[in-house]
Parts: sequence; structure tokens; C-alpha cells
Amino acid sequence: MAVKKEKQKVREKKNLDDNAIRSRNVSSSRIKEYALEIERSGNELSKINSRLKEGKELEVRKLDDVIKGVNEFTTVVKEMENQLESIAASAEEHTSSINEMAASIEQVTASMVSLTTSINETAASMTEISASIKNVAENAQEMATSTAQVTTSINEIASSIKHVSGEADSFVTSINETASTIDEMARSIQSVAANADDLSSAADETSSSINEMAASIEEVSATTENLASLVEQISASIEQTARSIQSVASNAERISESASSSASASAQLDRSIRSVANLSKTADEITRRAARDAQEGGITIEKSIQALLKIMETMKQSSNVIRDMGKRSSEIGSIINTINLIAERTNLLSLNASIEAARAGEAGRGFAVVAEEIRNLAERAAKATSEIANIIKGFQEVTQEAVISTNEGLKIAEEGSSLAEDAGKSLKKILLGIEETAQLVNQISTATNEQLTAGQNLVNEVNVVSNQAKQIAISTSEQTRTVQGMVQISGQIRRIAQQVSQAMAEQAKASRDIMKAAQNTSTYAFQVSKATKEQASGANQIVQAMENMRKGTNVIAKAMAEQATAGEEVSREAVRVARLIESISKAMNEQATAVNQVNTAVENMRKQADQTTRAMSEQSRAMKDISTATENITKQIKLITGANKKQTELSLKINEFISEIRRLHETDAQVVHDFTSIVSNLVEKIKSVDIFM
Amino acid sequence: MPQDRENYILFKLGGTSYAIKSNDVQQMEMVEHITPVPNAPSFVEGLVFLRGEVIPAINLRVRFGFEKIEYDIKTRIIVVQRGNRKVGLIVDNAREFVVIPNDVITPPPEAISELSGQYLEGVATLGDRLVLILKIDEVLNLTDRIKPENIEGGT
Repeated sequence: MAVKKEKQKVREKKNLDDNAIRSRNVSSSRIKEYALEIERSGNELSKINSRLKEGKELEVRKLDDVIKGVNEFTTVVKEMENQLESIAASAEEHTSSINEMAASIEQVTASMVSLTTSINETAASMTEISASIKNVAENAQEMATSTAQVTTSINEIASSIKHVSGEADSFVTSINETASTIDEMARSIQSVAANADDLSSAADETSSSINEMAASIEEVSATTENLASLVEQISASIEQTARSIQSVASNAERISESASSSASASAQLDRSIRSVANLSKTADEITRRAARDAQEGGITIEKSIQALLKIMETMKQSSNVIRDMGKRSSEIGSIINTINLIAERTNLLSLNASIEAARAGEAGRGFAVVAEEIRNLAERAAKATSEIANIIKGFQEVTQEAVISTNEGLKIAEEGSSLAEDAGKSLKKILLGIEETAQLVNQISTATNEQLTAGQNLVNEVNVVSNQAKQIAISTSEQTRTVQGMVQISGQIRRIAQQVSQAMAEQAKASRDIMKAAQNTSTYAFQVSKATKEQASGANQIVQAMENMRKGTNVIAKAMAEQATAGEEVSREAVRVARLIESISKAMNEQATAVNQVNTAVENMRKQADQTTRAMSEQSRAMKDISTATENITKQIKLITGANKKQTELSLKINEFISEIRRLHETDAQVVHDFTSIVSNLVEKIKSVDIFM
Repeated sequence: MPQDRENYILFKLGGTSYAIKSNDVQQMEMVEHITPVPNAPSFVEGLVFLRGEVIPAINLRVRFGFEKIEYDIKTRIIVVQRGNRKVGLIVDNAREFVVIPNDVITPPPEAISELSGQYLEGVATLGDRLVLILKIDEVLNLTDRIKPENIEGGT
């Protein structure tokens, strides 16, 4: 009965709404057409979207390549810095050896003037090194500041991720709402189908469904507009990315340039280190020669001392002999005096005899002759004696002179011997100094060899840097190509979105027509409300389903939060890096202090420098050359350091650009994600409209 | 011995050679010990003891007004004798016993006879040497005549 009654009712309603149903049929067919078009557009959009995703993935891969390249580059630059430090340490060792050598040469030789000059030059170089170290320290501090900025940026990223996470939650909520609406609608439609017999109720349900559809279409239209604006955003992001990549490319080129200037400076460094090695060898040879000469001189002096000692001994012996002779000659003198006296007395006796003989007259004549002869003999004896006396006197004078000159000779020989001993001592000192010098020259040689190795390593590192920079340039150009492809794709998307927009506008227009038709069926609204109650009960189930979905999105949100945590960790790492840089800068300052101390020491040494020997002047000259070469090394190191600094600055810039690109990509990813959701939403809605139709 | 020549003893005083007759000389001695005599004239050196006799010794240099010099190994005392009187004459040197012919002796020149002439008998030339021959009597007399007062006034 009830059924019959209802069928009756329906039939009555059918008659009443015949006109309305006809017009509705016309609208339905038009809506179906639009729906199909929208579905096509949606599918096309999905395809474009997947292509966009592919492009993004390719770009991300390229970006990873670039990041890897930049990281490797940074490592290589750091290694280069280590090499530079080892060269600098070796150069410092080298310099200290030269300074010690200066002190040693000064002990040994006269005229240190040229070496002093070279020490001054070294000191100036040290000052330059000190200034350069200060610059490096300042750069390290700037790096620290940059790192702090990076940390801040990472924190901002983390907060942005959090923010995005929140937005995702609200988005999920909106999905839930939409889904519930759609499900309700589905249920309602099903209930309408179930109650197909009840026309009145069906008409009511239809009317309400039409209203719903109209609302849905309005919503879709709004969503499509949203989509269009998102597409605009994506395009803008992609263009920004392109610009960033271009600036990365130009920076990569500049890195390439500075790496090549580093390479040429390194080659020059290598050459000047080699010249130092040659000069050290020459200095070593000269030192050996000087040592040999000094040893020969020592032997000669030893021989001279021996000869002088022999001379002294002989002279002492002769002096003794001469003194003995003097004594003997004075003895002879006294004997001569005695002889003289005897001669005088003989003369006197002969005279007295003559007087007596004269008195005796003829009898004394013979006696007188004898007396005369005796007197003559005595006279001859006296004459001979006086001659002997004269000779002895002369002999005594000569002896005296001999004694004096022997004493003088002895004194001179003693002086000569002591002078020779002094010379021997001086030679020993010289020999010691030369040995020290030889040791120092060896040290310099060792340091130079270390420098050679380090310099070669540096050349290799610089070449590696050059290669890395080229790779970065290649990756960047590939990126540029990818982004250009993306720009094209985004243009296509833009066109499609416009088409969708247009279609939606037409749909809206059609739905308004439907609405008019539906107004005629408004009288069945109360039945619709009944159906709505059923829908409400169905909605509960959907809400449950949506709860599950929400849980899923919560997982996503959690993942986002983890991302944020990761971002914080990155930030902490950056802080640690900043601390390390600070310690580096501290070490640099200590280095500068050490260099200043070395400078003071060099100044002291310079003051001590005074005299040098003729043989040593060659060495001094060689030292000067070494010093000049060392100065060249310092200059080269400075050049390399400058290039390094530039490279570091540029790679920092590249890092900034890359992080910017990252940010843009994250935004892009979010936008694409939104876009995907909207498109799928749209597709589902369209499907529901189909079912409804 | 023929009378046309005589034996002389030659002695030196202040670089000049003098001759004295050998017959007037008793003996000659070296100067050994002279005992000074108080209140004697300056030319009297003192007393010597010879062959058991005490004899006065006269420094002939002082007596002749020459400078006094130190005695040495060549200084001699010539003891001259006239009768009982004996005097020792201290001279620089005496080492020759010569024979001088009378014809080489010439009287002293007129110009010096007033002062020195009274002591000189003559001047003899022996080769290239000039020898003053002393009058021994005058030398002895002079010694006698001069009294301390006179000597002081004379010198």
C-alpha cells in the first residue's frame, strides 16, 4: 500500500516536473561534455606533472653532482691549505737555519754586511708572511661569520619546514572535509538510486544533488584558479632557479680562472725552490772548500810552531855557548894582564941589568948585550900581548853583540810561536764555525727537499682544483639545460591551466542553468532533508575513513618535523664548524706571534753580524741568493694564498646560491605536491559528477 | 968606553922624551908603596923603601908643572944618585937604554934658557925623535932649594 501510494506520488510529481526534467537532461549532457573535457585536461595535467617531476628529479641529481663537486673542491682547497702550511713551516725552518748560519758565519768570518742585508730581507719577508697570516686569520673570521649566517639560514629553513608541516595539516583537514562532502554526496546519490521508485524523494534528492554539484563546480572553479596561481608561482620559481644557476656558472668560471693563476704561481714556487736547492748545493761546496783550506792552514801553522820551537831551543844553546865564550875571553884578559905585568917587569929588570953592566964597563959589555936582548924580547912580548888584548877586546864586543842579538832573536821566536799558536786557535775556531755552517747548510738542504715535495703536492692539488672547477662548470651547464626544459614545461602547464580555467567557467555557467532547473524541484526539498539524515549517518563512516587518511598525513607531518630536527642538527654542525674556524684563526694569530718572535731574533742576529773573511764572502753571496729565492717563495706562497682566498670566497658564494636553489626547489616541491593534490581532487570530483549524472 | 958618546936612560913625561945619564941612575923600580910625608911640598909624594934605604920620591910631573895622573903598570921610579944624595923621580914611563953620541946633542935654545934652560943640558935628535937631556944636578938642587914657603908662593 505504502509502495503503491508512493508510486502514485511519484507519478504525480513526474507529471508536474516534466518540463524541468527535460531542461535538466539538456544541462546534464552539456555538463557531461565539460566533465569529459575536464577529465582529459586533468589527465594531460597529470602527464605534464609527471614530466615536471622527472625534470625536478634530474635537476636535483645535477644539484647533488654540483654539491658533491663543490664539497670535493673545498676538501681539495683545504688540502692545498695544508700543503701551504707545510711549505710555510718548512720555509720557517729554512729561515731559522739561515739565521743560525748567519750567527755562525759571523763568528767565523769578517764582513757580514751582505748577509746582514739578506737577513734584513728575510725579516721583511717574515713580516710579509706575518701580514699574510693575519689576512688569513681575518678571512677565517669572515668565514666564521658566513658560517653563522649559514646557521641562521638553516634555522630559517627548519622553521619554514615546520610552517609547511602545519600548512600540510590544515590541508589534510580540508581534504578531509572535501572527502566527507564527496562521500556524503555519493551516499546521498546511492540512497536516491535505492529509492528510485519514490519519485518525489528522488526529485528532492536530485534537486539537492544539483545544488551540491553546483557548489562543487564552483569549488572546482575556485580550485582551478588556485591551480593557475600555483602554476604562476612554479614558473617564477623556475625562472629564479635559472638565474641562480647562471650566477653559479659565472662563479664556477671565476674559480677556474683563479685556480689557473694558482697553478702558475705554484709552478713559479717550484722553480724558485729548485733554485734554492742549487744554491744550497753551491754553499755546501764552498763550505767544504773553506774547511779544507782551514785544515791545511792548521797543519802549516802546526809545522811553523814546531820549527819556531826548534829555533828557540837552538838559540838558547847558542846563547849559552856565547856567554861561555864571554866568560872565557875575560879569563884570557886577566891572563893577558899577568903577561903584561911580566913583560913590564922583564923590561925593568933588563934596564937595571943594562945600568949595572954599564957601570961594570968593559967587563959588563957581554952582559949588556944579553940585557938588551932580554929587553927586546920583553918588548916583543908586550907588543904581542897588547895585540892579543885588542883582539880579545874586539872578541868580547862581538860576543856581547851576539848575546844581545841572540836574546832578541829568542824574544822574536817566542813572539812568533805565540802568534802562531793564536793563529792556530783562530783557525780551530774557524773550523768549528765552518762545521756549524756545513750542518746548517745541510739543514737548509733538507728543508728545501721537503719544500720540493710539498711544492710538487701543491702543484698536483692545484691541478685537481682546476679539474673540479671544470666539472662544476659542466654540471652547471647541464643544470641550465634541464631548467630550460622545465621552463618550457611550465609554459605548457600554464597554457593547460588556462584551458582548464576556461572549461571551468563554462561549467559554472552550465551549472547555473542547472540550478535554475533545479529550483523547480525545490518543492521536494523536505524529502531531500530526509535523505540528508541518511547521508549524515553515512558521513560518520566516511569520517572514520578520513581519520585513517589524517593519520597518514600525520605521519607526513612527523617526517617534516624530523626534517626540521635534521635542519637543527645541520645548524649545530655549522656552529661546530664556526668554532673550528675560530680555533684556526687563533692558531693563525699564534703563528703571527711566533713569526714576530722570529723577527726579533733575526734583528738580534743582524746586530751581531760584523766581520767576514775573504773566502767566506762567496758563501755570503750564496746566502744572499738563497735569501732572495726564499723571498720569492714567500711571494709565491702569498700569491697562492690570495688565489686560495678568492677560491674559498667563490665557493662560499656557490654554496649560498646552491642553498638558495635548494630553498626554491623545496618551495617548488611543495607547490607540485599541492598541485598534484588539487588535480587528484579535481579528478575525483569529476568522477563523482559522472556518477551523479 | 970612548968619551965621544954616553949611555942614557930614556923616560917619558907628558908625551915628551927625556934622557938622563945611566951613570947617575942607581936603579929603577915600579911604584909599589909610597909612604906620604906630612908638611912636604906638593911634588913630594912621600918616602919609598928600596934596597934597605929610605928614599924621598918626587912626582916629576908636578915638579915640572904638568897635570898629575894616576899610576899604572908602566909608571916608574928612577932612583938617581949624586954623591950621597939619592932621590926617586916618578915618571910616566921608562923602558929604553940608549947610547947617544955627543955630537947629536945641541945646547938648549936661547929663548927658553931663562926658565927651562937651567934644567936642560941639551937637546938630542935620535932619528926623528927629539930628546931633552936633563941636568940631574939642577933637578936635585931644585929639590933642595925650594922650601915649603917658596913653593906656595911659586905655585
